[in-house]
Formats: sequence, structure tokens, C-alpha cells
Amino acid sequence: MDCSEIISRIKKKLPDFNPISISQNYSEEIYIRVDSRVFKDTCLVLHKILPSPVMMLFAIDERKKLNKFVITCVFMDVKKSQWVIVSMDIPQESPCFDSLAKSIHSATLFEREIWEMFGIEPRGNPDLRRLNLHDEAWPQGNYPLRKDFNGINGQVLGEYKFGRVDGEGVFEVPVGPVHAGIIGPGHFRFSVAGEPIINLELRLGFTHRGVEKLFEGKAYPDAIRLSECVSGDSSFAHSLAFTHALEKISGASISGQAVYLRGIFLELERMYNHANDIGGIAIDVGFSFSAAYASIIKEAILQLNEKLSGNRYLKKVNAIGWVLADIDDVKKQILLNSLKSLKQDFKELVKMLYSSVSFMDRVDATGVLRRKTAEDLGVIGLAGRASGVPMDLRKHFSRIYKEAKFKMAIQESGDVLARLRVRISEFEESCRLIEEFTGKLSKGEKTSVNPELKQGSALGYAEGWRGPVLYWLKTDSAGLIERCKIVDPSFHNWQALSYAVLGEIIPDFPLCNKSFDLSYSGNDL
Amino acid sequence: MIKIMIIVLQLILFIAAAPILSGLISKIKNNIRLRKGQGILQPYYNLAKLFFKGEVVSETASWIFRVTPIVVLSSTLTAAALIPVFIFSSPMRQAGDFLVLVFIFALGRFFLALSALDTGSSFGGMGSSREMFISSLVEPALCMVILSVSLQFGSTDISAFNGIHAISVSSIVAAIALFLITIAETSRMPVDNQETHLELTMVHEAMVLEYSGRSLALIEMAAYIKQMILFFLIAQIVFPIALPVFSSLTQLASWILWYLTRIIIIAISAALVEISVAKMRLFRVADFLGFAFVLGIIAVICAMLGV
Repeated sequence: MDCSEIISRIKKKLPDFNPISISQNYSEEIYIRVDSRVFKDTCLVLHKILPSPVMMLFAIDERKKLNKFVITCVFMDVKKSQWVIVSMDIPQESPCFDSLAKSIHSATLFEREIWEMFGIEPRGNPDLRRLNLHDEAWPQGNYPLRKDFNGINGQVLGEYKFGRVDGEGVFEVPVGPVHAGIIGPGHFRFSVAGEPIINLELRLGFTHRGVEKLFEGKAYPDAIRLSECVSGDSSFAHSLAFTHALEKISGASISGQAVYLRGIFLELERMYNHANDIGGIAIDVGFSFSAAYASIIKEAILQLNEKLSGNRYLKKVNAIGWVLADIDDVKKQILLNSLKSLKQDFKELVKMLYSSVSFMDRVDATGVLRRKTAEDLGVIGLAGRASGVPMDLRKHFSRIYKEAKFKMAIQESGDVLARLRVRISEFEESCRLIEEFTGKLSKGEKTSVNPELKQGSALGYAEGWRGPVLYWLKTDSAGLIERCKIVDPSFHNWQALSYAVLGEIIPDFPLCNKSFDLSYSGNDL
Repeated sequence: MIKIMIIVLQLILFIAAAPILSGLISKIKNNIRLRKGQGILQPYYNLAKLFFKGEVVSETASWIFRVTPIVVLSSTLTAAALIPVFIFSSPMRQAGDFLVLVFIFALGRFFLALSALDTGSSFGGMGSSREMFISSLVEPALCMVILSVSLQFGSTDISAFNGIHAISVSSIVAAIALFLITIAETSRMPVDNQETHLELTMVHEAMVLEYSGRSLALIEMAAYIKQMILFFLIAQIVFPIALPVFSSLTQLASWILWYLTRIIIIAISAALVEISVAKMRLFRVADFLGFAFVLGIIAVICAMLGV
């Protein structure tokens, strides 16, 4: 029913729209296969009517069996709580397609990624520089995500060309990838006139590990462990999204208890990261006392994680259909008691920050990301909500959050203060949600599922603390992973940083950067 | 002969005691933050470590880069020798008055800024331009403070500091202004942050980023001594005391004790200020030091009115 509705909406804009096939999988995924000639138009229409940024855009190498590549684009329909997935075939003889980049900005980076990983050219994309395979280390002509890739070939290395800003008194300040603190590697090239920044170009990809390639050929328990390592600070969200996709494919039923347990752990992960970031924002403006206070809160949550699950960073928790760390009555009490003191401490911390004039002066109106910019760039998750983009997978897609009357945190101003405020209200909301979920836990309901692994494909998702974590998974008949496409919200949001800092002065950049706190490893994959 | 001995004694005192102030301040800060923190003597260990380490010098660096640490340290030591600590008038009285102190500091800063530009690193350039921006605001304020003290004493002679025997409104206001200046000059919060790891926000640290080993040790030593000089000047303005008469040991001991207490009180205040504020936006430093300048003017007016 939903299928026909979306088709008729597309047809309104595109009268001679004639898809090759339409199917609805798992009640929330609508697959539309189209001819490669109308792929671009279909995507443009969906982008407009849903409206949704390009959530994922990726290629699959099917040359072995079907002599073709498949390109898939995923949109999100928040009103109907469903995903619209458009795909097209590309013959292996002429690997190219029409670029979406000039009409949909959020497709740009995905297309560059397809180009470097598969050698499929997005015709018309104005920027085909490589993202993760740095020219200084990877000779041209190597496409590692193709199935027939075996080792790096060739010797001719190139050099990356940065955009240049010319003019009287314009200087370039290159920073990184090695930084003074212990943080991830990223290269930032500022063009400045005096202190104000007039352009910032990011170069990432230094932690590229070939994660998507590593997934290929892996079986169920190993693959979950791998997904936990994609981005260390959101290991639970990643493993949850991965498990979700696998559960859809295998048709495993999820025990009612596990749904709530996952909710609890997901919120705990959010809480420790938000506490960490609030402390980080404070330390970046040198407000060290409250930073020390925030680190105490973070440590308390990490210790709570360990007591509940045996792991401070919530690894080895997820399993298909079940959660390996159960919360019994004793642990429940520990959890509720800790929450009580955490809430108290957090209130103190917030009071300390809000009542400091020097602190508020630094965060207010710094690093503004306007809503229009955020929507155009396809900024999602926490950074999007701080700029007034009302999107949260928990609100749109999750039953248990709807039951718990989840309240989405949203701000309009898009500055560092707005991102801080979103974090603060999400932390408080998380406390409430965990209490709510804990009340729903029942006794003795345990089902250990031995999943039947079969062929199929599905989209898994989870709202991690940065934003939506998406996994698109395809398995072969033996249940081994054939293709795993991962999108961490950092991939969408890094570009936003270079817009948020425009006009700010260089010493404010670390503060803006921290207020986004994006993942290097989640982006570089 | 006695004068030379006093100069030597004074220099030894400054070299030996200066680092402990930074150690003390960071210890206080860490304890307030519920941390154990490094020992008070840590700056000495750092200096010793740096002194016996090799150096890395940029290939593009010229003689300026090499000579700067020596210029910075020797100019700061000269300033230390100019100050009257043990006797009423400065042991190097003939060498110059108060204003010389301002220019001696400026000399070291000038060379530091040049050397930061010398290596061609982008951080050095940023550090230099910020340091010059800050120092252009510091100097007028410092001159005002000096003027107010000189007015009270009736001369720009450096012994004016010891000539004020009673606390007046003027000297309190001047001390506050000098305290704000000291915060900027010793690269402390909220103007600069010595602890930061964020290279883009640094001012002083960005300038010395290219230095390592022995050169860095010299520059750090100079920074410690400068800090001690400024603390001493504040102490002398706000808690004026008579200099010791070397007649009895108890008198000398009580003088030393009181001297240390004054310095420690100022160190504690610096630590408390650092811990309780966030770093200000770079261009707000103009307001901050502008305030110091206005306080300096008020101190001058008070001095002229005789209060």
C-alpha cells in the first residue's frame, strides 16, 4: 500500500516514471529498481518530496554473476517511518553514471567514494579527488572494493591538490594530520586574512583501514565484533545497526526484553559521550574546573557500563535476537542508584557552565551553522538538530521510544551553545528514558537465538549519539557477508564544520570542532 | 664590590627560586580540580631534562633563531638585576630607571617574535602576530602603573618601589592593574593558556613551538624569571615593607618569611583566577588590557591627588 502511494507521488512530478520493479521488504524498506537513464531524476524527485538528504549512496560489484555494478541510493521518509531505496544497474563495460552532486549536495562525497573504490565515474561531479585512498600512497587505477582486487598495483604516485584562495594578505595555515593533543588524524587547511577564516578545506582518510572490505566474507559472530571497532566511541550504536540488518535478513525474532536492554545501553553510550563532549567544550575554552567535573561524570558512566555489561565501552553486548548482558534485579538497583547521583552531578555541572559569564561568552554565537546550510549539506543527527533540522531516528522509527514519549531535543541557533544545549537536554532525556525502560524489564524472559543465516539484503540503523548510524548488508547463500556499506553520521557532517567556522577566528576553530566532535575512524572507514 | 656581590646574589636567587612559582601554581590548580597533580619541583626536572636533550633546528632557520634564547634569557636577567631586592636602591642604578625595564622586556619579546617568524612555520607566525597584538596593549598599561608609582615617590628611579612605605588607594589600584598585566605577560588564563594542547589557540607557546632542548630550557627559564620579577613588583606595591636591616638573624628570617608569604599569596590569587574563568576570545583581550590601562590611569590620578 505504501509502495503505490510513493510511486504516485513520484509520478506527479515525473509523469512517465516507469520503474523496472518495486518491492517492499521488512515492511519499512521500499525498493525501487529503475533504468540508469531515469535514476538521477528519480533521486531528485525523492530528495524533494520526502524531503530527505541522500542517506546512503553506494555501489555493489556484481560482475562475477551478473556482469554489472549496482548503484543504490537510500532516502529516508520520516513521515511514513520507512526507507526508500532506489537502485540501478550499470554495465561493466562502461562504468559511469550521471552525477547527482550538482543538484543534491549530500551525494557529492558518496560519489567520490564510489569513484575511488569501484572506478565507476560519476559524470559531471565537479570534484573527483580521492577521499580515503591518498594519491601519495595509492597509485591510480586501484579499486579496492571491486571483488577482483588483489593488492596494490602500479608505482606512479600523485599529489593531492588543495583549493587555493588568493588575494592580498591571504595566508594558508596547514594544520595536522599530526596534532599536539591525542586526537584523531585530520588535515585542516585554513585560508585566513589576519585571524578570520575565509576558507577551510578538510582532508581526511588518514585512518582508512578498509573496513568495508574486511567485512566481506565474514560470518555472523565475528562480523558483530568488527562492527564494534568501526568507531570506538559509538561501538554500541554500530553493533546495534549491524545486528539490526542481520536480524532482518535472518528473520530472527527479538525478545521483548532485549529491545529494552538495547535501549538502555544505547542511551548509556549517549550519556558518556555527551558528558565527555561537554567537558571537552569546557576544556577547549580553558574552563578547566567544570571540565574536570564532567570527566568525573563520564568515568562514573563508564564504570556503570562495566558493572552492567562487563565492558566500559559496551563491546560484546549485542547478539542476534538477544543481548549478551542481562540486567537482573541487583544490576537494576545499581543502575537506578547511579542514575540518581548522575542526575544530581549533571545538574551541578550545567549550573556551573550556565552561570559562568566567561564561558557563555565563548560559546554563544560561535560557529553558527544555519538551518538552510545544514539542510543543503544533508547534516544529520545532533549537529542537525542544533541547527533546527528535526530528525531523530528514535522518534521516527522506534516503537519503544514512542511508548516512552520520547522528546526530541532541538535548537534553532546552530551555534556552539545550541549544540551544547542539545547535548544537555539529551543527557537529561536519556536518564529519563533509561528509568522508563528499566521499569519495563521483565524477569526470566530469556531466549537464546541460534539464527538461521540466509541470503538477502537489508538496511540496519540506530540513532547513535552523533546521529543515525546506517548499515546496508548483503549476504550470500552461506550467510557470509558479501557487501557491507557503513555510513557513520560523521561522513555527512564533516563538511558542515568547514561552513560553521567561516568568518570565525582561528583560535575559535578547536571549540567549533569539539562542538561537532566528529569521528575520524567512522568517516575514513 | 658589595654591589657586584648583591647583583650575583640576586641573580642566583631569581634563577634558583623562579621555577618553583610555576610549580606551585600548577599544584594549586590541580588540587582544586580534584587532581593530585605534579610535584612543586616539576619545573626543575623539566628544565634539567631539556638541558641535557638534543636540539632540532629547522633548516630554514637563520642566526636569529639560534641567538634568540640567549637574548631572551640575558635581557630577563638584566631586568632581574635592575630590581632592588636587598638594598634600598637598585644595584644597577646607573644602568637605567623604570622605563628601561619596559624596554628590556620588549627586547626579549621582539627577538622571540622574530625567531618565530624565522622558521617559516605557520604557527610561529600566528603566535608572533598575537603576541605583538597583546604586547602593544600591555605596554601602555605598564607605563601607567609605573608612572603612578613614580609620582608617589617623586622620581622614575627604580628604587621608587621601595620608597612607598604605606598602602595608598593609588598603589592598590596600580597593583590590580599590574596583576592584570602580569596575567597577560606570563601567558596565563584568561589571556593565554599554558596547559593547552590546542596549537591553534596558543599565543606564547605557538611562538616557541619550534624550540627544543637547551634553547627551550633557556626560554622557559626566562619566562619563569620574568614571572617572578612581576610578582615581586606587585608584592612590593601592594604590601610595601621596609628592607631588611642585616643586624639580627631573627629579623632577617622574618623578612624572608614575609617576603615568601607575599609572593605565595599572589601565586594563589593567580591560580584562583586561572581556575575560575574560561579563556576569552582573542579580540576580547583588548577589553581586558584596556581595563588594565584605565586602572593605570586611575592610579595615576589618585597619585596626583595624593590618595
